Amino acid sequence: MTPTRRALLLAAGTVPFLRVPARAQASAGVLRFGLSAFPPNLQPWVSTGASAGTVKMLIHRRLISYDEKGELRGELATSWAHGDDGVWTFRLNPAAKFQNGEPVTAEDVKWNIEQIAGERSTAYMRTQLQAISSIETPDAHTVRLITREPVAPLPHWFAGYNMGIIWRKSEANNPIGAGPFRVTAQERGSSMELTAVPNHWQAGLPKVKGIKLTVYADENLRAAALQSGDVDMIEYVPWQSMDAVEADPRLSLDAVEGPFMDVVFNGARGPFTDARVRRAVAHAIKREDIVKAAFFGRGKALEGIPIIEGSPYYDAELAKGWAYDPARAKALLAEAGVPNGFQTTLLATAQYGMHKDTAEVVQQHLAAIGIQCELRLPDWSTRVSLGTRGQYEIAIHGTAAENNDPDGLSAFFDTSLSPSHGRSYMVQAPRTVEALAKGRAEFDPARRIEAYKAFQRAALEEVPMVCLAWRSQGYGFDKSVKGFVNLPGALTTSSGAMLEQTYFG
Amino acid sequence: MWWLLRRIGVSLALAWIVATIVFMTLHMVPGDPAEILLSTGGVAPDPAAVAELRERLGLEQPLLTQYGQFLLGLTRGDLGTSLVDEYPVLDEIALRLPRTLELIFAGTILAVIVAIPAGTWAALHRGGVFDRIASGTAAFLLAVPVFVVGTVLVLVFAQMLRIMPAGGYVPFAQNPGQHMTLLAMPAVAIAKGLAAVVFRMTRASVLDALSRDYVRTARAKGISPTRVLVRHVVRNALTPVLTVLGLHMGTLLGGTVLVEYVFNWPGMSTPLLRAVEARDYPMVVGIVLTISGLFLLINLIMDLLYAALDPRIRTA
Repeated sequence: MTPTRRALLLAAGTVPFLRVPARAQASAGVLRFGLSAFPPNLQPWVSTGASAGTVKMLIHRRLISYDEKGELRGELATSWAHGDDGVWTFRLNPAAKFQNGEPVTAEDVKWNIEQIAGERSTAYMRTQLQAISSIETPDAHTVRLITREPVAPLPHWFAGYNMGIIWRKSEANNPIGAGPFRVTAQERGSSMELTAVPNHWQAGLPKVKGIKLTVYADENLRAAALQSGDVDMIEYVPWQSMDAVEADPRLSLDAVEGPFMDVVFNGARGPFTDARVRRAVAHAIKREDIVKAAFFGRGKALEGIPIIEGSPYYDAELAKGWAYDPARAKALLAEAGVPNGFQTTLLATAQYGMHKDTAEVVQQHLAAIGIQCELRLPDWSTRVSLGTRGQYEIAIHGTAAENNDPDGLSAFFDTSLSPSHGRSYMVQAPRTVEALAKGRAEFDPARRIEAYKAFQRAALEEVPMVCLAWRSQGYGFDKSVKGFVNLPGALTTSSGAMLEQTYFG
Repeated sequence: MWWLLRRIGVSLALAWIVATIVFMTLHMVPGDPAEILLSTGGVAPDPAAVAELRERLGLEQPLLTQYGQFLLGLTRGDLGTSLVDEYPVLDEIALRLPRTLELIFAGTILAVIVAIPAGTWAALHRGGVFDRIASGTAAFLLAVPVFVVGTVLVLVFAQMLRIMPAGGYVPFAQNPGQHMTLLAMPAVAIAKGLAAVVFRMTRASVLDALSRDYVRTARAKGISPTRVLVRHVVRNALTPVLTVLGLHMGTLLGGTVLVEYVFNWPGMSTPLLRAVEARDYPMVVGIVLTISGLFLLINLIMDLLYAALDPRIRTA
């Protein structure tokens, strides 16, 4: 061939074909949703993250869910109440049906609880539900739960996204739920299609014909897909893109502060066995720097126990219990016998930017009071392993409470529970643990508030962990998408359930 | 015939060594698949549930027993199932390998179409304006990381001009036009580094050929300049270019991770990355084994081709 000119012309001639506009087309009534991660699996009771939770809440029904304000709202159950003896009674909606047409009965609910609490269970709520000593089913639509100890927050247990109730005769690999959608197609790791169940038993639900979930693991690409119109809606709008989404006249941002970052300690050995040293850490860190460095300003300093403002358990003074005060931090170190600080290691993970950025700010502020930290930044899997085995001194962690009831914080503040990467390792905080137990058993609202204020005071002194910052969690969507609400506080991770009432307007 | 059997035997032995090394190192690395799965999202799982899941996944068995079972499966062509969702590893590879290969081929073709004519032209007009611009561009493209190019492409074409989707994949059978559109940007991102290498190689190689005696002789014989260029210069100059191209295509097999990630192209890199993060042992071993197997196969074919061309190798 004659090189160059002709070849170049030929090459140039192909360019227009590359410009054929072929943007992902919207199909009528199908919501295109950008997920941050593909659900590892959809086993109803096993905890595999919030993405899986979103899908599970749409294909299954729980006894109770949450309304737009984050208040409990019946789903399979129409009512629930406790007696003076602490026994909880749930009444089921007689109209409720599984996707195969079978009615949802008290027997089904009983069977689900037994499976979850079973000896060989891998369910998330296994330990909690083992506190139920017996289950009575006086009729087909009534379930009575008798617990070993009184449990005031029990309805919240049944509102978590790992609590879908399935048909008791389901095959092991094919759980049949009672939700308004079913999974009709999926490609492992990439996408999933949900289709509305015809004649769903809850009148008016769902409001769209289907939901096409596409995974965009790269957060910037996820934001780009929303901005270019490839999808109608995304979860986890990256903090750096929130300004752009807000500024875009075609898009809306719905962000709440719910999840938070914290520091956990190894209380088995070393200087952090002393609560005064842990408290020194709490007072040494300027939280605003973390909000700026890790979350582009999209968050809020958290200088106390993570209870959202506006909650009856919130106390403005206690919320500042760990206010930034380096002089106090130094004094606490001196009191603990280490006035000049010490060398230690700080464990985080390089896999998630927010963990690494938070660790760097913490390292800097601890150095200012004399605690010199060497950063350890392995991948997340290694970080989890080291955390559970107590192979660290202090570590950065990020999480969200189960729900907005303060009992939802037990998983992180109750250090008497078995070791986990998500809570401090063998830290002694007996008064905190006791206060949590007291609140759990208290039904009277006023006394319950008192109990949890006592819990906050105890935790501020015993420091089972140090809270650092709320982080903003946002959904971005096209203005034509209506009816969706990002649930307040910790419940933001359960907001996926709102997709059933989302529609195009 | 003996050398052929020996060569294939060596390849199989290498495959076994790779499989063993990957299997063993993966199990040595800290991290427990059951614990990671149940900790997704930063929650604190119940240790009893973790222990139960480990038991179910067979992770409580001695390492050598697990290794034995793995080898046994391998001899039957069974790579096992994912620890996360029990999905067969072989099915995942069968679905995703062709897409990665498609991306690599598209990138290579794009690189060749642009770089070989450009390299030849630059060599023929050495020191000219085109040569300087093209050489400068090649150096620039080699220096810019692939994820920067990818991100800029997304920013310009998807977010600013809105003429391309931000990324994704549609099967060819479902919508050929959109399939090609979605392929365009990642293929360009893959092609950019390769095009720079091929351009430089072509330019150097053509320059070298131009100074050879046979070119001077051909010209002296009065053959038309075009014919000299096509039949004598370019033809001879392309041999080293093809060698480089072959080597680089192999490297791309393991190097598409960033491109697939940036453009959400569902090839084999994403599952590999996810599997490593989740310590999904069978999935990681299966995918790595496939990639290394392809490498070995390419090498074997190359050796056989050399042997066919050069009888001396057969006796060596």
